[in-house]
Amino acid sequence: MSSLISLEHLGFSYDSSSAPLFDDVNLEISRGDFLLIRGASGTGKSTLLRLVCRLQPHCRGRILFKGRTVESIPPAELRRQVLYTTQLPAMMDGTVRANLLFPFSFESNREKAVPPDDALRGMLEEFYLHDIPLDHHALNLSVGQQQRVALMRAILQKPEVILFDEPTSALDGESASMVFRIIEHLNRDQQMTVVMVTHSDYRPERITPAIYLLEHRKLRRL
Amino acid sequence: MNPPLDISLWQLLLGLVFILVAQVTSLVYHLGLNRDISIGTLRTFAQLFLMGYVLSFIFGSDNVWLTLGVFGVMVVSASFIIKGRVREKSVPYILPTVLTMFASYFATAVFVSGVIVGVEPWWEPRYFLPLGGMVIGNSMSALAIAIERLFSELRQQKNMVETRLCLGANYREASQDIFRNAISAGMIPSINAMMGVGLVFIPGMMAGQVLAGADPLQAVRYQIVIMLMLVGSTALTSFVTIRIVRRRCFGKGEELLLGSG
Repeated sequence: MSSLISLEHLGFSYDSSSAPLFDDVNLEISRGDFLLIRGASGTGKSTLLRLVCRLQPHCRGRILFKGRTVESIPPAELRRQVLYTTQLPAMMDGTVRANLLFPFSFESNREKAVPPDDALRGMLEEFYLHDIPLDHHALNLSVGQQQRVALMRAILQKPEVILFDEPTSALDGESASMVFRIIEHLNRDQQMTVVMVTHSDYRPERITPAIYLLEHRKLRRL
Repeated sequence: MNPPLDISLWQLLLGLVFILVAQVTSLVYHLGLNRDISIGTLRTFAQLFLMGYVLSFIFGSDNVWLTLGVFGVMVVSASFIIKGRVREKSVPYILPTVLTMFASYFATAVFVSGVIVGVEPWWEPRYFLPLGGMVIGNSMSALAIAIERLFSELRQQKNMVETRLCLGANYREASQDIFRNAISAGMIPSINAMMGVGLVFIPGMMAGQVLAGADPLQAVRYQIVIMLMLVGSTALTSFVTIRIVRRRCFGKGEELLLGSG
């Protein structure tokens, strides 16, 4: 099967005079894969994900998505398909509904059908948010609930790949396991490709992930 | 109409009484401002006398290039003042700022002197330079506030901006609120000035004209034109500059180049 994402000899330094954060990273990601990238804080795990969706320009090597270099794909088009979720959920000042639907107003998403309230309520149940009304103010939710709303907002855009950057780092144990269950469900039942960066020992229950370790500037498979 | 009364050198020095009051206050209350007050006083005398001689020379020379040269120097000086206030190193914003300031202030000053006031030629330094100076001085502050607001909000809201980018927004959509806030922040002082003018203060230019013996109703007309000109030039300069500088805050991949604040 051809790769969905390929990293070829990828290297990154913050500037030309500083030592590389990592170097000569090679990785093939196929459709439906579940990848876990581990490593201590500061090894460049988040940077690696941010380079794939062009939130940071890379220095050396190539990143290909469906055989095209990421630089040749218009940024909004790339990011709609390879969706990066930040460590801390960003909620705007408004209702849960407004937070879920604002991406549909963007030029690149205009052709997408806006889901009706019934569909949103059904999804809230799947995301363990059945007791939250759509008119609830998003900033009054707990961080764990906000993280699940942010996840739901990302899924509504139907990306092909989701890059999770420490999705549970700010959550308590119960909220974290809810988020993990949702992510596993997305991969197992909806064949969504998942790349997750974490420094925890998390291991999915019913999926065998490909586990990588970013250490000493190199990425290796465990 | 009476011509303005001359201020002799001795009368001018008598004005230093006010500085004496400030110096004594600083000494008594240990404000530590004596040195700054002295330097400020010296600079006020030196800079304004220098300007007086330069303006006398230019008014007498009747040369369009000299007038435009002085105008250019005022714009460049204003850009240095903005640079001192904004203190942002990671985004190169000064060149587009200077070019936009020059173009929009020039257009505004030409419109006011040549079309509204009807001066002939339009660059007559006695009109063009004071009008240009007022536009530059006021819009400069507005622009510094707007640019500073743009940078600080982009840093503070980096997480939200990046979330929008990741959800399919282009850089304009990702920073739309911040763009609006920055321009509003710059414009509010000149709009507030329109609200208070004539009620809580007599503007400097109008006061000057009245002291110089002009008919107060004519001075009012000038002042109204000035107020309108300031709002318009502030809006135009802020809009164009913030648009260009915002683009520079994002890279080729529309990634935000500023770190979080």
